[in-house]
Amino acid sequence: MGKYIEMIRVRFLMMLAYRTNYYSGILIYSINIGAYYFLWNAIYGGKGEIEGLSVIQMTTYIAVAWMARAFYFNNIDREIAQEIKEGKVAVEFIRPYHYLMMKTMQGLGEGIFRLSFFSIPGMIIVSLIFPIEFSAALSTWMFFTIAIILSFIVNTQINLLTGVMTFFFFNNDGLIRAKRVVIDLFSGLLLPISFYPGWAQQVMDFLPFQAISYIPSMIFTEGFTGFAVWEAILFQLVWAVILILPIQALWVIAKKRLIVQGG
Amino acid sequence: MKHATIFFLYVSQYMKTRLTYRVDMLMEIMSDLLFQAVNLIFILVVFGHTDMLSGWSKDEIIFIYGFFLVPFAIFGAFFNIWDFNERYIVKGEMDRILTRPVHSLFQIILERMELESLFGVITGIAVMVYAGNRLDLNVSWYDPIVFLFMVLGGAFVYAGIFILLASISFWSDSRTSIMPMMYNIGNYGRYPVDIYNKVIRFVLTWILPFAFVGVYPSAYFLGREEWYGYAFLTPVMGVAFFGFAIFMWNIGVTKYRGAGN
Amino acid sequence: MEKVIDVQSLRKDFKSHSSRSGLKGAFRDLFTRNYKVISAVKDISFTVNEGEMVGYIGENGAGKSTSIKMLTGILTPTSGTVRVNGMDPHKEREKFVSSIGVVFGQRSQLWWDIAVQESFRLLKKVYNVPDDVYNDHMNHVIESLDIGPLLDKPVRKLSLGQRMRCELAAALLHNPKLLFLDEPTIGLDVLVKLKIRNFLKEINEKYKTTILLTTHDLTDIEALCERVVMLDEGQIIYDGKLAKLRSNWGEGKQIEFQFGEQVNLENLQPLLTELQAEWTKGDRDNVWIANVVNEEHVISEVIGRVVAANRITDIKIHEISTEEIIRNIYEEGMLNG
Repeated sequence: MGKYIEMIRVRFLMMLAYRTNYYSGILIYSINIGAYYFLWNAIYGGKGEIEGLSVIQMTTYIAVAWMARAFYFNNIDREIAQEIKEGKVAVEFIRPYHYLMMKTMQGLGEGIFRLSFFSIPGMIIVSLIFPIEFSAALSTWMFFTIAIILSFIVNTQINLLTGVMTFFFFNNDGLIRAKRVVIDLFSGLLLPISFYPGWAQQVMDFLPFQAISYIPSMIFTEGFTGFAVWEAILFQLVWAVILILPIQALWVIAKKRLIVQGG
Repeated sequence: MKHATIFFLYVSQYMKTRLTYRVDMLMEIMSDLLFQAVNLIFILVVFGHTDMLSGWSKDEIIFIYGFFLVPFAIFGAFFNIWDFNERYIVKGEMDRILTRPVHSLFQIILERMELESLFGVITGIAVMVYAGNRLDLNVSWYDPIVFLFMVLGGAFVYAGIFILLASISFWSDSRTSIMPMMYNIGNYGRYPVDIYNKVIRFVLTWILPFAFVGVYPSAYFLGREEWYGYAFLTPVMGVAFFGFAIFMWNIGVTKYRGAGN
Repeated sequence: MEKVIDVQSLRKDFKSHSSRSGLKGAFRDLFTRNYKVISAVKDISFTVNEGEMVGYIGENGAGKSTSIKMLTGILTPTSGTVRVNGMDPHKEREKFVSSIGVVFGQRSQLWWDIAVQESFRLLKKVYNVPDDVYNDHMNHVIESLDIGPLLDKPVRKLSLGQRMRCELAAALLHNPKLLFLDEPTIGLDVLVKLKIRNFLKEINEKYKTTILLTTHDLTDIEALCERVVMLDEGQIIYDGKLAKLRSNWGEGKQIEFQFGEQVNLENLQPLLTELQAEWTKGDRDNVWIANVVNEEHVISEVIGRVVAANRITDIKIHEISTEEIIRNIYEEGMLNG
């Protein structure tokens, strides 16, 4: 366990070392949230609420969705693909840790960094400029915490999955890009899932993507209340467990292939 | 002349390698299409809940999006150097570039081009034709020429922004993730800028002038005369921004520190 | 003779920040940073004439690659002047690099996915080489490096040795007057090394190509270069003939005798009277080593006397290797060559 914690720490320090990244990151996140705020204001155009969300809730939703993204987002799929292509993964097999676990921990280190340096200060800045509602209920914050941890897990699992696919394709860039687009759209980052037409919502109920952004954001804005919160968290949990299967399966096959072909 | 021959040699090499990996190419085109569809879906879903976006109709917004795709495709094919820092600075490939007798940026553009992005031109024009039909837009004989200038202007604006961002790498040794985040900001230029407040409008017009890749030039074709001034500024902005970016690049090259120091 | 490289008090400073340690230090670094200026190259001066082959040596971090990068126009000097082929490498970069060839051992000049000859074709256009010049010159290069059969293979399918020979050919495509080689033989086997060395000698003779060679492998330098420039901590600590370096610092020779019979020090000692030499016992039976100064008459005198007085089954003369000499120089620090 100690080595994984060390990995988180090292990645955290690495991120701290790049300070241009830091300042520009806050700026860009703020511009993003600002632009969406105005865009949604224009979309509401005086309407009181759409699909049960008021303008203020919607603004909060967008702000939280972007800030949560800073936490769960990582590029480990790209990193894995790169390391596979450069043949570095073969070396990782002989190291005394689980490669995918190590990558997850690196992602977590990045996530914690962004959470504490982009999201929290960014959120404070944004809440000074735009009308955003924070819940006063402790339980909302608690559920939100659980929800973003689970969203990190699900998103990371999907990244691991796309990353490991590189073993089976010559060039995985297309898939990685496609995955990113799909996540932006179906996770609820750009649009709350409830805005989609009914049939689309039903399809998305069978896909893991809303666990990434929609659920934590809805919990934070109190768009979900009571039983719906528990149901949402259960949804995340179930997907977090289910996704272990294909990852492990692909990993085992990839390992065999690698040993047979000698990398 | 030399540059043109080199360009075509690179293009033919590019075709050769690409055709060897046909599945990859197909995947890439598919993911581009998907990327284009996502934004369209966003527009469609949003207009499922409203009829007007501060006085602009759904079809107008779709038209702007269609127009945006064309310069964006050209940008994507030639100037999409978002991984410049990692590939050329961190890994030191810039050393190799600088030992060749061709302008460094030109070489990088040739090495990084992704011609399959040009399919976006077709998608974009298709979207424009669809939306334009529904809007009953008239096309004059000179409109294609204006279109050409607008598209080139927009592509140069986009290219200029990304070249400027890439140039930052010459000064700062840090790995930046600014580039991927820029794509999101690029999207905001596709909505009527009057929905934003002054600060964001100013940023999108003069600092990161993405509005010149979307709403401003489209306003001309949509007959929105109140925006004509900005619309005709598009090619000028393109040339100015691109020129400035190259100027900064050339200064940046003299600050290059080399890899592994 | 024409000066191909003329470097006067060339300097390169890098501003770098030093990270504070630990998490708390990293936080503080976000807001204020400690900068310090590191001089990678400290006011070096040297010249290279046309047709010379110069070995450019130094430990890692001695300033070797920084100075090479300034000579090739990749980096801008902080101060001082560089004239290479009569040009300022950084100011007239594009014109300048047409007149030089560069091989970075660890970095490929060729395109990974396409056949070698396609890479050559591209480079031919990039360097604007006319067809007739190209054919005449490159046919010869391809033949000497024996890469004809490799031309239609993609670079990624070549072995390191094959690739390196192709890299060399690519660097010579425009027949540059000056060639920079950075670790050209790293990781190569002996046969390929020999082939590359012979080829370099040949083009040096044929075209009077000036060659600046950086390498960790001193056998390359011994085989090719008469002159070495040695760097340490950003300064030139030796610039001169390799042979002189050897005779000045190659402090002596060891002559190892295998005697055909039992001998002892009392018998041997008188043989060395009045000579700057002394005996030590070898590690096998009947083996004695005479440590002598590196002077011709001493060496022949010792051998003559020993051979006249004893039965000898074997003689070996050991020289201190260049590598040892250079290690000694670095260990002993600065010297005034």
